[in-house]
Amino acid sequence: MRVTTTAVLLATVTLLAACDDKPTPTPASSPSVSAAPSGGARALTSGALPHAAAAPVALAGDAAEGQRLVEQYECSRCHQGTGQPAPKLALDCVGCHQQILAGKFPASPAKLAEWKPHVAYYQETPSLEALGRRLEPAYLVAFLQRPEDVRPHLVPSMPRLPLSAEQATHVAAYLTRGERPKAQRLDGADPAHGRALLENKSCGSCHEFSGVAPLTARPKPGVGSEEQQRAIRLAPDLRHTRDRWSPGALVEWLLEPERVKPGTLMPSHSLSPAEARDLAAYLLTTPLEPPRLKALPVRLPVLSRRVRYAEVVEQVIGVTCRHCHGDADLTLGDGGPGNTGGFGFTPRRMDLSTYERTNAGLLNAQGERESVFAKLPDGTPRLVASLIARQREEAGQVDPQVRGMPLGLPALSAEQVQLVESWVAQGRPR
Amino acid sequence: MTHPKRIPGSFLAALTACAALTGLSSSALACGGDWGPAMLEYEQDHRPFAVSLAEQQLEDGKLVAAAASVIRSMPHVRTLSAKKSTVVARAQRTLAVALVRSGGALSLKGQVPVYARGKWEGKSQADRQANLEWAAGALRAVSATKADDPSVKTELAEALARLESHRQEARGILEELAKKDLIASPEGYAALAELRRAAGDEPGQRAAAERCRAMAGEGAGLCGAPASAKS
Repeated sequence: MRVTTTAVLLATVTLLAACDDKPTPTPASSPSVSAAPSGGARALTSGALPHAAAAPVALAGDAAEGQRLVEQYECSRCHQGTGQPAPKLALDCVGCHQQILAGKFPASPAKLAEWKPHVAYYQETPSLEALGRRLEPAYLVAFLQRPEDVRPHLVPSMPRLPLSAEQATHVAAYLTRGERPKAQRLDGADPAHGRALLENKSCGSCHEFSGVAPLTARPKPGVGSEEQQRAIRLAPDLRHTRDRWSPGALVEWLLEPERVKPGTLMPSHSLSPAEARDLAAYLLTTPLEPPRLKALPVRLPVLSRRVRYAEVVEQVIGVTCRHCHGDADLTLGDGGPGNTGGFGFTPRRMDLSTYERTNAGLLNAQGERESVFAKLPDGTPRLVASLIARQREEAGQVDPQVRGMPLGLPALSAEQVQLVESWVAQGRPR
Repeated sequence: MTHPKRIPGSFLAALTACAALTGLSSSALACGGDWGPAMLEYEQDHRPFAVSLAEQQLEDGKLVAAAASVIRSMPHVRTLSAKKSTVVARAQRTLAVALVRSGGALSLKGQVPVYARGKWEGKSQADRQANLEWAAGALRAVSATKADDPSVKTELAEALARLESHRQEARGILEELAKKDLIASPEGYAALAELRRAAGDEPGQRAAAERCRAMAGEGAGLCGAPASAKS
């Protein structure tokens, strides 16, 4: 499972705010920089304009330790702008996928054709460049610990890495590098005019804005130039803006995005300072409807027909699992984070490359082998439980004890989980 | 007066070309039909592809085909050192498992050139025994480098179960794996069932055979007949 830290960070920050069950309005003037995850939105009621007159407080984290952690968690394998050297191609998730899809990767045409369907994801991830000038450190800290999907048209999302709260604070301190935008007051800004600008500038052609009246322009995934498509995939849902951005950072961004983050796909709309403040006021204060989370799929009964391993591979294991639980011998010793470790994960030696290895289990936290089919107290096989956990994560029900799989990718459908569960229930026939 | 024999111009031209090529090449073999040294620079090592094919054939239950793929690509596989090469280790592992599941005798006629068949066909009891012992040794070597891998342990135990003097060791490995539901293949459960039967543990034998049948699916014949069919 292909896994990227940096891009996910950005997306997660946005999502975090939106996923609070009970959005609690908080004073808008002083964005929190607590290391504790906020776990929800700083939903602002209409009329309560954020002022942020005071400069945001610096994070208490240790940037030097954060740098070490960014290396340990291999953020640069997925994200640019980490301040780390670019990884070798063999470790560069995005670069490798891009080369395979473009037919430039050094492999036979047959191999490239075989791989292409499996590397559609992670063609792009958000750059972490100038993160400190853009995102709220507190949001970053929360996002790192509980990432959620902020980019509705980007299939992968930031995986939940094994980061402690303290580590997240250090990483955020490093990634923001002490850069902070100027404080900005939005007194007198006109949110209604901001809404009109949002329409006039066709912001909706790239951005979703869930929770408000629909924008006239709508993103059209799969239509337009490649750059337009990339922009749509990377564009966050604007409902998360209030959690991710301070008023000062947002106004700077809206005025000159290229100056804040060179190379950004966000175009400059030649806004006047007053217009930028109006737009920021709307994005930060317009009332939002509660977030619409994915419904938790119904758990289907096990199938009565026979299910073979080949079918499970074709429908599930070969589709997503093997990229992170692969055969290390065939990949220069890197069997993926779920096998030989990486991205901060310790090697669990879970190899799903063959029938026999799938039955060979994994190393538990104590370093002992155990079956991935061992039943949990409720009778659910462990493997199935992790698949269901991913479905629950998408429904906003994160279980800190169980990391949902596939990590950072969409949950399996009810039918796919049913197939796996049926195969296990039938004794895992070959 | 005699004149020196005239050398044809075309021969001289060919000689010149050969001399030029020989001079440019790092090997004098460049002229004369054997272009090996020049071509080797671009030649792909086909062994990984052959081993990959063999592994797939083994997974599909095509034992002889899997073994033949290995032997054709590495005729001296028996004497190669797996420590120096992952490809060799994988080749030996595949061949060893195919050998064990074939009882030490592979019907390689038509699949492998005569010179490469050696004693793999196991025509005598001694050859079959030697093949099984080689297989167990090869799998033990693989197991030593993958000490925490139950799939290798299962295969090693399967091989040891075929050797009279190692059956106790085989049962020890399989019983330990069975406790944690880590026997990786139906063949492993079949071996455990047989070992339990030989030890007089009939309930244990039935349980292992049942597990074998569940995992084997359509290949349940390797697990022996169900208890009801025997009675």
